[in-house]
Parts: sequence; structure tokens; C-alpha cells
Amino acid sequence: MTVTDQAGPPAETAAGLRPGDVRALVQPDRVRGLVYTDPQVYDLETRRIFGEGWVFVAHESEVPEPGDYVTKRIAGEPYVVARGKDGQVRVMANRCTHRGNRLCNADKGNSSSFRCPYHGWTFSNDGSLSGVPMRDGYGEAFGEIRAGLGLVPAPRQETYGGFVFASLAPEGITLGEHLGNARHAIDRLVALSPTGNIQLSAGWMKHRMYCNWKMVMENNVDGYHALFTHQSVYDAVRPAKVSHVPSKTETMVRDMGDGHSEIDYATEYRRLDEEFVWFGRLAREKVPGYIAALEEARGVEGAHDTLVIGPPHTLIFPNLFIAEMNVMTVEPLSPGEAIAYTTPVFIPGHPEMNGRTLRRSEGAMGPAGFLIADDGEIGARNQLGLAARHPEWVTLSRGLESDVTDATGRINRDKSAETPQRGWWKHWAAVLEGETPGSEAQS
Amino acid sequence: MTDTISTVSADPPAAPSDPSTAAGVDPGLVAFIYHEARLADEARYSEWEALWDDSARYWVPMAPDADPETQVSYINDNRTRIRSRVAQLNTGVRHSQTPPSVLRRTVSNFEVTDAAGDTVTVASNFVLVEYRFAVTLWAGRYLHAIRRTEGGLRLAAKTVHLVNAGGPIPTMAFLI
Repeated sequence: MTVTDQAGPPAETAAGLRPGDVRALVQPDRVRGLVYTDPQVYDLETRRIFGEGWVFVAHESEVPEPGDYVTKRIAGEPYVVARGKDGQVRVMANRCTHRGNRLCNADKGNSSSFRCPYHGWTFSNDGSLSGVPMRDGYGEAFGEIRAGLGLVPAPRQETYGGFVFASLAPEGITLGEHLGNARHAIDRLVALSPTGNIQLSAGWMKHRMYCNWKMVMENNVDGYHALFTHQSVYDAVRPAKVSHVPSKTETMVRDMGDGHSEIDYATEYRRLDEEFVWFGRLAREKVPGYIAALEEARGVEGAHDTLVIGPPHTLIFPNLFIAEMNVMTVEPLSPGEAIAYTTPVFIPGHPEMNGRTLRRSEGAMGPAGFLIADDGEIGARNQLGLAARHPEWVTLSRGLESDVTDATGRINRDKSAETPQRGWWKHWAAVLEGETPGSEAQS
Repeated sequence: MTDTISTVSADPPAAPSDPSTAAGVDPGLVAFIYHEARLADEARYSEWEALWDDSARYWVPMAPDADPETQVSYINDNRTRIRSRVAQLNTGVRHSQTPPSVLRRTVSNFEVTDAAGDTVTVASNFVLVEYRFAVTLWAGRYLHAIRRTEGGLRLAAKTVHLVNAGGPIPTMAFLI
């Protein structure tokens, strides 16, 4: 057997891409098909986007009580998100600092400490190393070991609207800089709760998709596909909530900058001046307790407007999609495989709303959902189609000449314009090229 | 509960290899479950829908002990949504089942777990092979609540506890 150099070459060389290579894959109106299929591109994404940038990890409401924890992965790396007895939520590597055993093996639980089954090392849920069996074996060095071998926290962690984000790089832009204009989407979501707090407590549907993770994400803000990919829903179940024909609706798409984008129904909903269009046109009489609480919190007019414009339909780069009353996140597994995680958004204390949200979520989302099952199928076929190396480009020119820029970003009043995709890819290329992001929203 | 063995008098006892008899489950109920499985396998959507009672629940939870009122399920269809699901499949443009996955399942280990009034609940195990882009293996436990009505047997509830309910699971747009 040949002994090889296990250390290997530095990542830049291993990825095989040189500065400018990624830039050449992205043009204003098209991208190379290999952005979805190439292993070198995928490796670089894992390092730059998930290994350095801000990514959504969990929501604070998933660990409401001290001792609660959930386990997550950031592009394959296991993390535990735990609320300590001090009430702090911490994102920590889910790996025993002794020999590397994965420490927490359940999706979620409640425990004041985590004990590694391999050699019995025990960590407090704040990460500190609290117990090492037969400590005498470490002699004089034990104090140093105990102090130095606590669970490794994510290098950076910040929260907005209860959404916990982490960056696995010790330095970089702040979460606020990363979110840019997209923070308004989180504001819009939490505004639907009278307390300003939302609750993601229903568990996550886990849908294995046989397509590139970016396809999962950018499809969510594709306003062009619905009439075709989801034709069976409109034919068999119900018509679309608003028209898909650009001349008949004021629905718009928006590149918010920094890779974030959305389909914004607010203008159309305000034109209709009708509450709950986004919620099956629910009659407010069905949820009197919620209406009363929202009016108390926002006033009568404020509550009305909140219920008219509803939640956002916004993609927050790279892995968070607020799908009205659902939250979706994606985990890449390989260039051609990803897991989509979806959970409904609950409003604490309002089961009459949450029961409806739950049933709507199950109807639309996940592996058997009326909508997402077909997105998964189309994604898989897209991946199969992209195996053809020609044509080299994927075309994203729709609406390029009618995009306009305002204070909210680059918008297009044709919902089917590929404005969100253009914004995604522009930012994606910048991040992979290692350029400092965070200033696009202001430009 | 009908004792099927007692109906056999002078004849030799039923072969012990007959699982339905061995477990004391009414062969009519087992036949109903086989029929339901075959209609699902063969994408005979409207015939499958016709098996359902007016009050119905088609449930695929993410955990055996999940509370469907607070925890998200992969499927939690009432009768209206079963109708919509079948209508969607019947459009021919439900892309995730166009063409339908090729399916075959075996159902076994029948046991009656509950019999109250006109409804009998039969538990069973299943193994289902799906061929679409590749072969996917599905398996789990069924609970069929079957109601005896004047019009014959009707499906009142079907619960599917997937062995991999904790996920991730692939697209499951066919009738599990």
C-alpha cells in the first residue's frame, strides 16, 4: 500500500478554480449550466458560502426552555443548538472534543448536559467540559484540558427576529450587513404575531431532493413556473390566489441586493384591499381571538394592513426561504442532492390560526405536498437535463430590460421576470470570488 | 370479531401458511387491504378513492407518537383533501407522478388491534418498491380502520408509519 500525503494541497488548489473562474460562469443574463453540476464549484460553495458566510441554522423557538436542544447540520457539519440554564442559545459543534464522536444523536431533546458514550466525557449544555472519567490519567495537565476542551462554538452567531444565524468564519461582515434589505421580510413575518414572536415548534418535514441545492432555493422566487409546474393544482383544486398574467396583477419580483430576493404580493393585495388572500381568503370571523389580539397590538388600521399584505415570500441568501407561513431551509449534500426542510410558522397562543397553518403547510409543502412534490420532480429532471453539456448556458434574460431600481432594490412589475435569479447569481459569484459583500443594497 | 377457523367444520383446518387465518383476521378484511394496495400500486386513483368512507383520515406522520394537531405530518388528509389529492393525480400533469411511479408492495403480519362498533382496525407491515429514476425502497406499518357499511367495507382511516418517517424521505407523491 502506498503511503500518500494525507494533508493534501491547500483548498484553493483542491477546488481547482482560480480567481475569475467563477466570475466567468455568470453573466447578467445567463449562467453556465455547470454551476449546478460541477464538483469544483460545489466544493468552493461549501467553503465560501456555508463555511464562511452567514447561514440560517435554527429558530430560537425550537429550543424554548433551558436544556432544550436541536441538532442541525451546516453543509454536512453537525451542530447542536442548545439553550443553557442561563437562557442563552448557543450554536456549538456537535462533536466530542476528545476523539470526535458525535455527541447529540437525537433531532431534539432536553438535557442539562451531554455525555459522550465513547469514553464518558460530559459537557454542560453551555459547552463547558464538566466531567472526564478517571481524570488522574491526565496528571498535571488535567486543568488545562478541562479549560481548553469545551465544545467548540460556531465562530460567530447572531439572531434576528428569533432566526439564529451562524458564520463559521471568525471575521467578516455582521449579520445586519448580510441581511441588508431582507431584514424587512423577517419584520413582515413577525408582524403577523401580536407579540412579535413566532414559533417554529411543529417539526421539520425533511424532503430529499435529487437536484442542486441552489435549484431548490431559486425556484422559490421564480414567478414564471407556477402555471406550468403547478398546473395540476390550478386544474384540480383551486385557482391561483392572484392572476399570473402580468397585465392583470401588480405582483412584482424584487432583487433586494446581497443575493436576497422575493415575489412581493403586497401591492396587489393592497389594491384588492382584502384580508387573508394569502391564507385561503379566511374570514376574520373564524379567528376572533387572533384578530382581537392583533388589533390591540397594532390598532385597527394597522391590523387590517398587516392582514392585507400578509407574510413575505422571500429568499434570504443562501439557505432561508420564508414561504408565507412556512419556513424552508436547504442543506446541500452533493452537486446533485439536497435536503429541503420545511416547517409551518405558528403564532404563539393562537391555536385557531396554527391549526389552519399546519393543514395548509401539509397540503402544499414537503415530499407529498401538492406543490413541492412537483418542484422536486422538476428539479430532478432539471439536474438530468443539465447533464447535457450543450448549450453551455442557462438563460435568465426574462425582464432584463424592464427592471427598475428603487430604494427597495431592483424590481420588475412582471412577476415572471427572472430578476430574483439575476440577483442571486450576481451575489453568488461575488461570494465565491471572495469579494467583500454587504454593500450591494446601498449601491 | 369473526372467527374464521370456526366456520370450517368437517374440512381440514386451513393451512397454517395462510397468514390471515393464522392471525384470526377476517379474510374479507385482508382481501380489502390487498385490493386497496393493488389499486394504489396500479395508479387506479378514482377506484382507490371510492374505497373511502365519507368520514376519513389518511395520515402519514413523522413519528409514531406525533400529535397531528401540533406536529407537522407528511400527509394528513381529511375526506375533502383525499378528493383533491386524487383529482390532482388524475389531471395527468401532476409531474411528480407523470408518468406514475412503477409500484409493487407486499402487505403482511396482519393483526386486529381494535374492534369497536362497526369499525375494525387491522395493523400490518408493508414493503413497497418504487421505480422512478431509480429503485426506492419504502417500508413501514399500516393501520387500516375499516368500516362495515350497508354498501360493503369502507376505509375510514389509513395510517402509515414509515420506518424512515424521521426522514429525510424522497418525493412521495404516489399513494402510500
